[in-house]
Amino acid sequence: MAVNPFEMAKKQIDIVAEVLDLDPNIHKFLKRVERSLIVSIPIMMDDGTVKIFEGYRVHHSTIRGPGKGGLRYSLGVNLDEVKALATWMTWKTSLLNLPLGGSKGGICVDPFKLSKKELERLTRRFTAEIINIIGPDIDIPAPDVNTNPQIMAWIMDTYSMQKGRTITGVVTGKPVEIGGSVGRADATGMGLYFVLQAMAEKLRLELKSLKIVVQGFGNVGGTIANLLYKHGCKVIAVSDISTGICCEDGLDVEKLLDWAKQGNLFKDYKNENYKLIGNDELLTLKCDVLIPAAIENQITEKNAEKINCKIVLEGANGPTTPEADKVLFKKEIYVVPDILANSGGVCVSYFEYVQDINSYFWKLDRINEELKRIIIEAFEETYKISEEKKIPLRTAAYIIAVSRIAKAIELRGIFP
Amino acid sequence: MIINPYESAKKKIDIAAELINLHPNTLEYLKKTERALVVSIPVMMDDGSLEIFEGFRVHHSTLLGPGKGGVRFSPFVTLDEMKALALLMTFKTALLGLPLGGSKGGIRVDTKKLSERELENLTRRYTMEIINMIGPDRDVAAPDMYTDSRIMAWMMDTYSMQKGRTIPGVVTGKPIEIGGSIGRTEAPGTGMIYLLQHLCQKLNYNLKKMSVAIQGFGKVGSVVAKQLCNNSCNVIAISEEEGGIYSPDGLDIDTLIKWKLQGNLLKEYEGKNTSPITNDKLLSTECDVLIPAAVENQIYSKNADKIDCKIILEGANSPTTSQADKILEEKEIIVVPDILANSGGVCVSYFEYIQDMQSYFWKLDRVNQEMKSILIDTFEKIFEFSKKTDSSLRTAAYAISANRLAKAHELRGLFP
Repeated sequence: MAVNPFEMAKKQIDIVAEVLDLDPNIHKFLKRVERSLIVSIPIMMDDGTVKIFEGYRVHHSTIRGPGKGGLRYSLGVNLDEVKALATWMTWKTSLLNLPLGGSKGGICVDPFKLSKKELERLTRRFTAEIINIIGPDIDIPAPDVNTNPQIMAWIMDTYSMQKGRTITGVVTGKPVEIGGSVGRADATGMGLYFVLQAMAEKLRLELKSLKIVVQGFGNVGGTIANLLYKHGCKVIAVSDISTGICCEDGLDVEKLLDWAKQGNLFKDYKNENYKLIGNDELLTLKCDVLIPAAIENQITEKNAEKINCKIVLEGANGPTTPEADKVLFKKEIYVVPDILANSGGVCVSYFEYVQDINSYFWKLDRINEELKRIIIEAFEETYKISEEKKIPLRTAAYIIAVSRIAKAIELRGIFP
Repeated sequence: MIINPYESAKKKIDIAAELINLHPNTLEYLKKTERALVVSIPVMMDDGSLEIFEGFRVHHSTLLGPGKGGVRFSPFVTLDEMKALALLMTFKTALLGLPLGGSKGGIRVDTKKLSERELENLTRRYTMEIINMIGPDRDVAAPDMYTDSRIMAWMMDTYSMQKGRTIPGVVTGKPIEIGGSIGRTEAPGTGMIYLLQHLCQKLNYNLKKMSVAIQGFGKVGSVVAKQLCNNSCNVIAISEEEGGIYSPDGLDIDTLIKWKLQGNLLKEYEGKNTSPITNDKLLSTECDVLIPAAVENQIYSKNADKIDCKIILEGANSPTTSQADKILEEKEIIVVPDILANSGGVCVSYFEYIQDMQSYFWKLDRVNQEMKSILIDTFEKIFEFSKKTDSSLRTAAYAISANRLAKAHELRGLFP
């Protein structure tokens, strides 16, 4: 049975509230979704008919600053999913101590069935419909599932036209030419890299000596695999949607990246030293670091016992189920949780917003330096609490994120 | 089985659409809700605990102008109910030819359980949460179930404080002292009297000789009863939730109003030749005019056959189910539909909004005169259309609204 994601998000708050012995009033307030806007989006299709889609924009919390969260175009989009994702964004921005809240949006649509023109009309009309609840000082969308820099450019354009002036800070993940940030595309991978560096140091492991397995070879998986490869790590297995590919002596990740960039699948890759393996085998390979960077619910109670690594670095959102978490904790495997591990993306989104409202743009060096500073600070804090309280890193991260929001609620009080 | 109110509202449009061959694109557009905002409203209760209520503001259509619709505070408020009521408001304002759209709002709350201060804080916080959706040029709220002029005053005050200047036009149904319109409270009742007078004239009935039964003794029922009594009609039965009172000689409404104000029940009143009557019995009493002015779904498949009158004047919203409609049509009972019959309220709300924007206030005569002319014109249009198309007044009313909306939709085209 599919779990309602929003119920799950609320349950996580309950767990943390209990650990923290939170004031019941603040506990209640944390579960509140500030506002959900549901809009209908009529668009003229290329064949002259009108189709009406349903779209959402949800602010879970703007208590620490403007909402921040992606926008996804997918048939799976529904209000409860968007609410849950907005809630998770609140924890993520809070954990990194950014002056931002949590939000999310989406349209229930199969974007692959639309022409480019239709997609543009859909995006522009959606922007017009939610225009009162977005803006650099209200809520800042970003790319998510099936949305990209071009779509962000359309949103920025529609918003700016409506306001009568160019306002780049209304969305992040824009093309660099119109107010995007350098380093945004690789940000999640970079963040994973910095966190792994710090984690390895804590465990007194030499980063270069580590054997790595990466599930997923998209924006996140491909980037982290390549970074580690360049750093001298042995990447012994990676996978794409077609298959896993494995070599005990290490894969040539650069060549695989070229292969993938040309639109090829691993199952057609020819190298006699490489072995094709299934997903189950990939996840249970003996290695030092397992990086699930594909989709959710990959490490479950069924395979958790067989996971054979020292560190799980969550590149994807929600790759580990709560049941699997318990097993991994018992096996003393460190799980660096998604809200910390893959937060490089939202962190550089924050930089993009700061640069936009400042009209002053940074060099890549500065981006990576500041990213490292923020993400390492959050990691150190998380690690410290997890050691002190002898709890998983995930619980520690939630404790930090939730306490920060709770403090803000307490200080601000209840209006009016 | 409980009928989903939004589904049944859409069904009414389907019937009208068929009659006028509405283009399927337009029909689909009319059935969709432009935007629905769901907000959570935290309120610090008198005992120091925090309660979080769910509130809504829904714009069904702002095609013809700012949204117009009530705000209800009731434990039964749901998103689908709000959507249905907003849709009905669109058709009501379009029917009267007002430059307004349709909207609705509410909070799921039992106001009887709140102190005055809690109610005020709830109202003020709700207003803040929906502040981007309302305004004289966007969406104008008004009283509805369990909301009154005092609550409208709080909404107006909160909105004005936020904007830094007094803006009375954000809500209607305000106290006269702060921008309310004279005649607003009695408007639905007054409008019904005008319509009844006009209909009687048309059918060559002598209103003074007619006997009237009224279900409901609230804002609508009591006003109609009193005015009919003043016009020397025979109000032979009237009721409230607990039951009512009957007299073949006609009731003295002024005395009954006093009786009520003393906190007594209608059924307990003992006068000359009076007897208590149940709500069921009242509906099937032999009379000339039956006025259901209480709640929805009172005349339905089981009792429609027993209805014994010439005219039904719908004071309440949706007192007649669609199955009952068919039976009444066969019995050749004239049903003046809610969307017209009780529209005096929204009509004078519109006048209040105009007076607020103009900062120029009318006398009662002008209010009533302008209302009368709008209602009678509309009635004539409906009556003619129903004859021409051999359809019920209700279907004719919906068809006229749909036509007007369709034309506006066609002229405006589709953004972007």
